[in-house]
Amino acid sequence: MTLRLGRHTFADDATLMMAIVNRTPDSFYDKGATWAEDKAFERVRLVVEQGAEIVDIGGIKAAPGVEIDAAEEKARVVDFVAQVRETFPGLVISVDTWRAEVGRAVCEAGADVLNDAWGGADPELVDVAAEFGAAMICTHTGGATPRTRPYRVEYDDVVRSAIEDTVGYAERALAAGVARESLVIDPAHDFGKNTFHSLEVTRRLDEMVATGWPVLVSLSNKDFVGETLDLPVGERLTGTLAATAVCALAGARVYRVHEVVETRQTVDMVWTIAGRRPPRRAIRGLQ
Amino acid sequence: MSGEPVRIALVPGVLALLPSYGGLEDPVADLRAACLDAVAWLGPGPGVLASEQGGRVAAYLCGEVSSRDSVPPRPPAQGVVVVANGSATRTEKAPGHLDDRAVGFDDDLRAALGAGRPGAVDTDLARELWADVGGLLRLAQEVEVDPASVTIDYDADPFGVQYWVMRMEGVRR
Repeated sequence: MTLRLGRHTFADDATLMMAIVNRTPDSFYDKGATWAEDKAFERVRLVVEQGAEIVDIGGIKAAPGVEIDAAEEKARVVDFVAQVRETFPGLVISVDTWRAEVGRAVCEAGADVLNDAWGGADPELVDVAAEFGAAMICTHTGGATPRTRPYRVEYDDVVRSAIEDTVGYAERALAAGVARESLVIDPAHDFGKNTFHSLEVTRRLDEMVATGWPVLVSLSNKDFVGETLDLPVGERLTGTLAATAVCALAGARVYRVHEVVETRQTVDMVWTIAGRRPPRRAIRGLQ
Repeated sequence: MSGEPVRIALVPGVLALLPSYGGLEDPVADLRAACLDAVAWLGPGPGVLASEQGGRVAAYLCGEVSSRDSVPPRPPAQGVVVVANGSATRTEKAPGHLDDRAVGFDDDLRAALGAGRPGAVDTDLARELWADVGGLLRLAQEVEVDPASVTIDYDADPFGVQYWVMRMEGVRR
């Protein structure tokens, strides 16, 4: 399906890199490296140079921590979105938020996508997306409350749950007026899931792709990679790329990442093996 | 028919010209352009002198030319596409690795082609140097080439393989 992300459209065979840009002092991977606005802006400039089509700007870390109210979240992201919009008109700007109030403010500032990592916790977010013509990422959390860790969560079938919840969310957004080509589903690895759940979602991602909704995966350096390989944050790139390859083979369209260059190469390689993309330049044996 | 005028386009049998081997970037863009111009010069429906594999290259080029919006008028001569090339052993990275005899072989073959003598080729050495000359030998049997008509449009060895695109005229023997 052709993808329309706010002001931008992409062909139905395009894969997209969504680079994570944290405006937080405490996110698990970068630990505040882009908390300062100038550092965050440098990060945007870098990932654009590296070829990212999308930046995903977040003002609150996913894990539990200090309470950040909507006013503080807006203070962290709204002006920054406006600055990125002005400097990079061709860049897709996504904002990682579950709050409709924040969604409205960032859309007014120029955001193209509302990435609701918490699966519809605020039911009015879809109305904001519809009003501004923004795209939405519809995630599966198994009903988890925002900023909570999974605790003894079990599913009869985690993939069925992910499909039912994300497709249901997409259909709610559609009914609210969000364009069909602006809706993306995300199984949300690690969110409301233990490592076995995230591995199963990875293994069976083709079932989500088969729904026909474009699929986003957010795998980068997550705990399911760390637990699988018994590696701390900072040593999970190889495992992340292995999971990325599996999701790419299944047909995931959007990849939310810390490492743009490595992920782009992995996705392009797998996409080409799958016969969905030609090699960049082939001459070996063909001279 | 003996004495019938003939136009000849010599092109190399480079598989990278085929769409089935296409990438996001074209590694033989200049060569492709020269080949298409030479084949277009023949006019519609040319014959082909080539191996089976070279014939696929010729068929692709002819198809591309015929699908162009502006088809040139039929020239006053029958057209023939000859698919052939020089050695594939000109450099360390060449498909057949470096053979010190390759440059000399190609120089001699270039001179023979320019003199209208496409059959003047050492076929044993051609085999050792991975040169594709079968089409040239058939051309020599079937057409008397006018040396004054030979035009070289492309002459390079970008991958250690000697390519030529040439246009020639002659009469059928």
